[in-house]
Amino acid sequence: MRRAVSLALALFCLAAPPASAADTVNPKADFKAFRDYFTKRFPNVPLNDFVNGPYSMDAELRKQWVEIDAFPPYQFALDKGKQMFDTPFPNGKTYGDCFPNKGIGIRQNYPFFDAKSGEVITLDVALNQCRQANGEEPFDYTKDDMAALTAYMAYTSRGKLFDIKIPNDRRALAAYQKGEEYFYTRRGQLNFSCASCHVQSPGDHIRTEVLAPALGIVAALPIYRSEWGGMGTTSRRLITCNSQVRGVPLKPEDELYRDVEYYLSYMSNGLPISGPGARP
Amino acid sequence: MPALMRLAVVLFATGLATAALAASADGFKAAYAKAEAAENQAGALKNQWTTTEAELKAAKKAADAGNFNDAIKHAQQAEALANASIAQAKEQATAWKNAVVR
Amino acid sequence: MQGGRKSAGLKSARMWAIIAGVVLSAVPVAGAAIAQPTAVQASMPGEALAFDRSKGNCLTCHEIKGGDAPGNVGPPLADMKSRYLDRKELAAIIFDETKRNPLTVMPPFGRNLILTKQEIEQVIDFLYTR
Repeated sequence: MRRAVSLALALFCLAAPPASAADTVNPKADFKAFRDYFTKRFPNVPLNDFVNGPYSMDAELRKQWVEIDAFPPYQFALDKGKQMFDTPFPNGKTYGDCFPNKGIGIRQNYPFFDAKSGEVITLDVALNQCRQANGEEPFDYTKDDMAALTAYMAYTSRGKLFDIKIPNDRRALAAYQKGEEYFYTRRGQLNFSCASCHVQSPGDHIRTEVLAPALGIVAALPIYRSEWGGMGTTSRRLITCNSQVRGVPLKPEDELYRDVEYYLSYMSNGLPISGPGARP
Repeated sequence: MPALMRLAVVLFATGLATAALAASADGFKAAYAKAEAAENQAGALKNQWTTTEAELKAAKKAADAGNFNDAIKHAQQAEALANASIAQAKEQATAWKNAVVR
Repeated sequence: MQGGRKSAGLKSARMWAIIAGVVLSAVPVAGAAIAQPTAVQASMPGEALAFDRSKGNCLTCHEIKGGDAPGNVGPPLADMKSRYLDRKELAAIIFDETKRNPLTVMPPFGRNLILTKQEIEQVIDFLYTR
């Protein structure tokens, strides 16, 4: 009898889908659901407009965007970034030597999963790796030098479509899933996740500010923010979000921050790079 | 009052005050240790709150100024906040999935 | 939030009937009672809590009469007395709305110790004047 029961149990276990079926990582299905959610919620916003964040949300805001973009507040960072990018290191090499296509028009391929280290490499991290390979001190991930360099590299990539790849590598999928978990996990005393604002409430106002949709939100980075009175990198943006919900932020370019950028950039595949951006 | 007796009273009072001081300093140390332990646990869960950190700092500052009653209050508030952040992290460990766009 | 709004509608209808009754039976008294809160409002501790960014900060997401530059993530906080006849219901929402609606973005002000129980009561006192 006991044997019959355990046999039946074994058969049942074989027949039943694995317990973790619901948890199986499926980036393609996630991507479709994510995009559908935003395009259905904002049927009047052209897909490529989502990269303009709050300014994509209605006609009045779009008009504001056109006005701002006529005299872009990030121009100083672009000029500085180009100069830095073109100036050789003391050893005669340049940033361009560290990147495919000499670093021009490649922003849409970052972040990528690096099989060697088993980690996600963002453009910011790749830039510091380049500096260190050429005997230079790394830049602070939150400060103006890094913002200027990434602003210039984004600018040369404007209009190129996000093309983030998740290779068939257990570690890449794990990084993607960790990024997704971080994005949806509520944190801080105010109990907000990234998604609370940018998935559940895009287009809504917090005080006078309009919340940006998560779809395409990374395409505009780095950004000039009036609130900051200057440029901000991806790290600065994430750290600010954490602090605003009263959570202790992670370190700039912490593995989890890179994972969440990986997840969000994959969700934005097919959308054009619009950085550097300007936000209130 | 004879001088000797006066001296005895003063010494006794000083002793009492020192004892009270020691007690509240110890009380603070205990309260702070508890708060710190909870905050470290929240740190392991990558879910510390800025408000907890602020209370811990305020507790230290009050203790440094010899204000042990205030220091203990801040430490206790820090512990309560840290525990709330731990509860949040534990609840979110699975609850985050309910918010995912499907 | 949606479920709450529906029941609030029913309650508000009932409340209006009560108010109408009071106004019809005692017009001068009711008039005085309506005029009074405006004079008291400025000094209400709950108002500071509701408008202050480091405390309740209701204005960030809710429109409230008398508050500048409100957000609109949540519904306007108006007619509060008629919408929440039961003070405990409003207290429960402010304490931890995720209990009733797990996906609400409203912070659990009580559970996460953003406001003390006493402060929540003060916020309710103030909201009942809106």
